[in-house]
Amino acid sequence: MFFRKRYNLITYKTQQIKGVIPLETIALTIDGKKINCHADMSIFDAARQNGIKIPNLCYHPELKPYGACRMCLVQDEKTGRLMAACVTPAAAGMKIQTATPRIIRHRRNIVRLMIAEHPESCIVCAKGNRCQLRQAAANLGIGETDLYPMPNHKPFEEANPFMIRDLSKCILCGKCIRADHELVEIGAIDYNMRGFPSRPATAHERGLEDSTCTFCGTCLSLCPTGALSAKNMQFVGSPAKEKDSICGFCGVGCRLSIGSSENRIVEVNPTHYSESVNGATLCVRGHFAHDYLNSSHRLISPLMSKAKEERQELIPISWDEALDLVAARLKEIKSRYGPQSIGFMGSSKCTIEENYLLQKLARVCMGTNNVDNGGHVYGQYQIRILDEKTEGGYRLARLADLKQADVIFMLGADPSHSVPVMAYYLKRAARKGIPMIVADPRRTELANFARIWLPVNPEGDLPMLNGLSALLMEKGSADQTFIDRCTDGFSAFKQELAGVKLDDISQQTGLEPATLKSAVDLLSGKKIAFVIGHGILQRKCAHKTLTAILNLSLMSGSLGSGRGSIFMVSKENNQQGAMDMGAAPDLLPGRQPVDNGGFREIWEQNWQTKLAPDVGFNMSEMIGAAEDGTLKALYIMGENPLSALPQREKVKQVLKKLDFMVVQDILKSETTAMAHVVLAGAAMVEKEGAFTNLEGRIQSFYPVVSPPGKAMADWKILDQLYARFGSTEPYDAIGNLRNEIRQFIPMYAALNGHTEAWIKPTAQKTAFNIQGADQRISFGPVFSEELTPPEKNYPYTAIVGTRRYQLGSGTRTRASGRIQDFVSAGQLEISPADAAVLDLNEGNTAVVRSPWGEIRRQLRITSDLKQGHIFVPTGTNGNDAMELFELAGGTGWKSCAVQVEKA
Amino acid sequence: MQTPKIDLGQLGPIIEKHQTGRWALIPLLQEVQETYGYVPPQTIEPIAAALNLFPSQVQGVITFYAGFSLKPKGKYVCKVCRGTACHVKGSRSILRLMQKELNLQEGETSPDYQFTLETVACLGACFLAPTMMINRDYFGKISPSKVTSVLGEYHKK
Repeated sequence: MFFRKRYNLITYKTQQIKGVIPLETIALTIDGKKINCHADMSIFDAARQNGIKIPNLCYHPELKPYGACRMCLVQDEKTGRLMAACVTPAAAGMKIQTATPRIIRHRRNIVRLMIAEHPESCIVCAKGNRCQLRQAAANLGIGETDLYPMPNHKPFEEANPFMIRDLSKCILCGKCIRADHELVEIGAIDYNMRGFPSRPATAHERGLEDSTCTFCGTCLSLCPTGALSAKNMQFVGSPAKEKDSICGFCGVGCRLSIGSSENRIVEVNPTHYSESVNGATLCVRGHFAHDYLNSSHRLISPLMSKAKEERQELIPISWDEALDLVAARLKEIKSRYGPQSIGFMGSSKCTIEENYLLQKLARVCMGTNNVDNGGHVYGQYQIRILDEKTEGGYRLARLADLKQADVIFMLGADPSHSVPVMAYYLKRAARKGIPMIVADPRRTELANFARIWLPVNPEGDLPMLNGLSALLMEKGSADQTFIDRCTDGFSAFKQELAGVKLDDISQQTGLEPATLKSAVDLLSGKKIAFVIGHGILQRKCAHKTLTAILNLSLMSGSLGSGRGSIFMVSKENNQQGAMDMGAAPDLLPGRQPVDNGGFREIWEQNWQTKLAPDVGFNMSEMIGAAEDGTLKALYIMGENPLSALPQREKVKQVLKKLDFMVVQDILKSETTAMAHVVLAGAAMVEKEGAFTNLEGRIQSFYPVVSPPGKAMADWKILDQLYARFGSTEPYDAIGNLRNEIRQFIPMYAALNGHTEAWIKPTAQKTAFNIQGADQRISFGPVFSEELTPPEKNYPYTAIVGTRRYQLGSGTRTRASGRIQDFVSAGQLEISPADAAVLDLNEGNTAVVRSPWGEIRRQLRITSDLKQGHIFVPTGTNGNDAMELFELAGGTGWKSCAVQVEKA
Repeated sequence: MQTPKIDLGQLGPIIEKHQTGRWALIPLLQEVQETYGYVPPQTIEPIAAALNLFPSQVQGVITFYAGFSLKPKGKYVCKVCRGTACHVKGSRSILRLMQKELNLQEGETSPDYQFTLETVACLGACFLAPTMMINRDYFGKISPSKVTSVLGEYHKK
């Protein structure tokens, strides 16, 4: 907080980052050992770097030094002065002692005083031996305190299902507050009061569930004592072992440290590995929703549907029976109706190895390109336009690079909810002073961190981008050097832009010309980092909008500059990887188009087979084909189309018509209930594999526990099935599978099972590869799009999107006991003006009706929405938000015209 | 005990006045406290938004300083000095007397919002010990009879 001491060290560091002070190496002596360190380091960091341990309670490498606990006291040999090592800069020639009797005496006193204030609840405390205060006391030989005990009792706060705050155990190290302010930028808590009653508190001392807290749990992982602990954790004991894995929810792919005990996941924390994408942070899903892994809805054995008293029932069978049956039925259907009668749904939640194997099963064993993955629902396939134009060169976009951007332009993205850890990066960049522009019809949380919020109409992104490009062109702020060196077709693009009229743009976007001009002033002459969300990707015209973004990126010379990339929000953990592996109807592995004879030939040689030349059915086309009877069998791996797709009653009827449906999943769902055969797969903590995150980071992981019951790793299931088609040798070990991927897909040449790797840039375009040949990226045409005319009967626009407590269709998050207990999620949001017109109050139930379906939701009134817009969160209530959309057309599931009325 | 009604319309101009200043929070809070007699909790959010701070930070500052209060105070705030010099000169009895006269404990406010009783560590006027302050007026060398007469004056006002 600003009125507290600003330590010289911080100023010093800031000046150094700004380049005022050059970095130099200095020499000093700590405990008689001569060491060298950078001039910007604290004594603590210098010691740490050289393997000298100094006790501490409030230090964390990712937080600014604070000097709260005074445990790191060290002594200057020359002056005899005691200093807190974490906030004292190292100076040349210093002679430091870290453990003289005098220091030990002081440290003992500090701990004695802390213990005197601490409740005697160590025996039942969930922190157990991992408590840093207990460790400190043990190291200093402090047993029972000889001081008069003054426990500072505070009432428990546990109205939320995620964490317990027992502030009587708080030692005021400030880690929770600093993590909240510096790392996740939520600011839910700060110190209140002073002296003895001083405690971290929320605004108005409300419970966490009524504060701005998002339950990311970062504070919990950093807390040195048991003051903060996860709920539903007491008395299960501390984890017997900890092992890293990768989060299975959103596309950020946070590295988790999973604590398990007796083959059961008991705790999830951010990893200790410092190079991870998430550092010390996580979000509510990653931290708390993994209790779904222990859910009673887990599938523990292969099942087969059998008729019993006029209804179908799923009964357990052995793996051999199940796999023999699947193989036999698929062979039979293929020979009877041909290869195109079978469809495969891969999964954006399964590993890259599994998706590779599934699409190979479809393409090689079945001879069909009818293979897709769940990313389809989120418009993933529309990104193809960028892949083609840049040869995938845009894809390496490290989140850490956001802090190098000149300006950040966010379009249709609400990362605070969809990909929270990415939002932390953005907020930190904004706090650092990087200007941010947020274009979104809603006033999202990040709009509060932005210089400019462009409240663009839901369909106005494309005209807005055209308008901004035209205004920038007028201003003469195109990067001519970059354009001349790396691009093609600029003059045509310039000419097309000349036709763009500002008045039309203003009318189509709902933005004042002055607002657009202020955005242009901010963008002018800068390298732009684009953050693109599902407000763009889930629209029918996404490829046009993406072209406009690419044009703007080329015009400003941002692409490949390191200071401006294109960051794509991925809703699911392996959306990128699934597509890279060819779990798409139009793409072979390596994102190579299937309708391109050259690429097909390569893969025909790789696999020694003949490939179907036509693009296959995508996910929604598969449903359409099943409806008209061309599709007879469906193999679904890790997807829940009944929940993820619109018009579920129709989808249900269609799936019933199938001759054969196999569902391979980890949880019982609406879809598994309809299957002929259910194969019990394993979750990411139970198997080996790798995910590719939205940055292009390939992260491998190992099993932490074994799969429940008879369940089996998905790649093993596929491999055994593969063996039953008899055409090739089975892989047996995942290493063999990885070898093949590495060998055949150049992008994944770095894939290995040990560490994390990055996708290999294969683009030859000059923009990414200066030494390369003269290969230019061409500007795309300036598209325009007919806006949907307003419908009289459906006067409101429903915008559908993620809330942080649910992900995707919510199949997994709904199986989490903690998330289920958190009732406040899933409310329909409406503007105060509309609520007044409709005579609706906070907490009322409203009916939302579109031509396709209707839903009922409780209401929350918020001024973040414009009049005429409502916001419907996905994932809750069986993901019924999708009922508002039409299945046909296969995309555009982001906003639609609706009626709203009081229930 | 009904909280007195306040006019939040006065808040806007105060925020506007201080918004652009560096280290604006404390002067701003002082003016809010001056205007309303306390810092109404409902002003925390608008103040935080205007200064680009988190509401919890603003509350942290308010609760840190004894000069700010989130609860409405009486029209007359009586501060009895409990510093060393005053203690020696019998300020404990003065405090007891005040408690009896006003029928208030330390830190309490009367239901009619006339009086608030507080103690302070030192008023910096030790040569006048025992001392107390009512709003901005000092009273030195006070005795039981002086306490009664001073309070009588304020009761009349």
